[in-house]
Amino acid sequence: MDLLKHLGFFRAVADVRHFGNAAADLGMTQPPLSQGIRRLERHLGVRLFDRDARGVRITAAGRRLLPAARDLLDAADDLVSTARDLALPEQVRLGIAADLEDGVPYLLRSLASGPTPGPTSGPSSAGTLVAPTVAGSVEVVDLLRDGLLDVGVVRHPGVLDGLAAGPVLVVPTRLVRGPDMTGRDADARQPTPADVPLPVAVPPRHHQPPAHDQLIDALRRAGHSGDVVEARDAAQRWALGAAAGLVPVLPDGLIAPGGPAGPPLRLRVALPLAAQRRPEVDHEAVAQAVRAALGPPSGPPSDPVPRPPQGAAG
Amino acid sequence: MSLDGPAVTAALRSVARDAGVTARVHATRLAGPSGTVALDDAEPVAIASLYKLPLALVWADLVTAGHLAADEPVRLPAASRMPGPTGVAMLLDDVVLTARDVVRLMLAVSDNACGDALLALVGRDRVHERLGVLGLPATSVRQGSADETRAILRDTGAATWAAAQRALADPDRAAETSQYDPALASAATAAELGQVLRVLWNGQGAAHDLVRDALAHQAWRHRAGSGFPHDDVALLGKTGTLGRLRHEAAVVGFPHEHPVGVVVLTRAARPERYLPGVDAAIGELARIAVGPLRLPDDA
Repeated sequence: MDLLKHLGFFRAVADVRHFGNAAADLGMTQPPLSQGIRRLERHLGVRLFDRDARGVRITAAGRRLLPAARDLLDAADDLVSTARDLALPEQVRLGIAADLEDGVPYLLRSLASGPTPGPTSGPSSAGTLVAPTVAGSVEVVDLLRDGLLDVGVVRHPGVLDGLAAGPVLVVPTRLVRGPDMTGRDADARQPTPADVPLPVAVPPRHHQPPAHDQLIDALRRAGHSGDVVEARDAAQRWALGAAAGLVPVLPDGLIAPGGPAGPPLRLRVALPLAAQRRPEVDHEAVAQAVRAALGPPSGPPSDPVPRPPQGAAG
Repeated sequence: MSLDGPAVTAALRSVARDAGVTARVHATRLAGPSGTVALDDAEPVAIASLYKLPLALVWADLVTAGHLAADEPVRLPAASRMPGPTGVAMLLDDVVLTARDVVRLMLAVSDNACGDALLALVGRDRVHERLGVLGLPATSVRQGSADETRAILRDTGAATWAAAQRALADPDRAAETSQYDPALASAATAAELGQVLRVLWNGQGAAHDLVRDALAHQAWRHRAGSGFPHDDVALLGKTGTLGRLRHEAAVVGFPHEHPVGVVVLTRAARPERYLPGVDAAIGELARIAVGPLRLPDDA
């Protein structure tokens, strides 16, 4: 017999003490439910319920067995839901460099609403549903190499350990001075980072050391002479910007613009090694959709980056 | 401080990750009790100008065996030289040198014209025959500097060497070239280059003395040497540099200790030409690898 199914009958009748109502809860009729309870009682060798003119009463043996039955049923539910989380059949596991975290909602919306390109799947209006993991680029590369992500957006340059990666995407940035200055874009003169003697708050160096070092070299090359402060996440970068006059470097187009142009953020879309790729995922098509959402590959600086719908910020 | 094997390997990996490079490291005591430190040292990599090191060893072996004369005159006509950044390769007029001076310039300033001339003198077949005898199957001198330059001009589609270097160093692209590929360029493993240092160190002839002396005169000490900022420590080295590749094979001689050969082969994530942080990391990798092998020679 199907023990879990019959324990489910047991639990339903014990909960409502009424065969008709329990059958309705289970979406079945009363006779098969009554037969099922009798089968379970025969299988276990104990009587679970007393039925008489006053209704249904659980027996002492039934009361003793009920907690164990509930535990088994709960454990079975956990197992099924865990398996579902692991399988995620329709979702692509996308790793996203933490440098983009302000722009993650925009990126996910773009992916969900945009068509899924690709030679194998053909044009589709369904978009790409992803389960995002936001982490430092070094960690995203580790997860890709271990086959725990399907596609990763990582900062360039960084060590890729042999992973395949597409062209370099160049996302323009602005140096923005805290939330109170967003939207103020009236300076007719083209400002440069040299105009910003304030500290610049950026993601932690350990997220992607070579890209971090390259960014600092670019700031110095442009004449910036302030400190470069590492902040662990976007909220802290913004807090530093607002409280101490620090200046976060943020992707333009993925966040409210304003302030002088900063060094561009360079990204690549990387894929796991061939042996680690899940067959149900069209990796190349997803990578192409991610690249499309992030902007043109290595385009001239004048190429506009798609802007997210802005709320009250403008 | 003494580190056990896994701790040294972990320290090497940590420095490589911090510097943004893929690193292959091999360090080995060249005299006294044997001892080795290694990180991915059996992985073949393109070696750029480090091809000049096994080439110099083979030349010295051939001179010692009487097949070549060290003072043989070598003509380096300006018209047939590929221009390069140092030595004869940056001169304007015809040059005649003895073979041993060709070797000295090739090693001390990585003179590309001298590298090409010596490879032509020795011959690729003799180089590979000798490397076979020495048991170095992964070491391959496929070409000299001129062919390497031509391949890069072809791969980048650039008209001049300066334009080709800019193309390889463009931060907005992930530029590739066949000269990063160990299957297409001159190649070796860190372990085999360590073996080249060992054979060179133990070579008995005057020609081997000459090669060692030229390595001791290397014009720069910013790479492996940066890990040993001590005036009394001898460093005999040869670098190899091409785009994202930065290598050095060196012998480190602390006074009253057995000499240690160390090979550090790196490939940087960043494409820029000037990365002092990576050169310093090569010094750090060399220092970490050599440290556990230091031993008094009791002489």
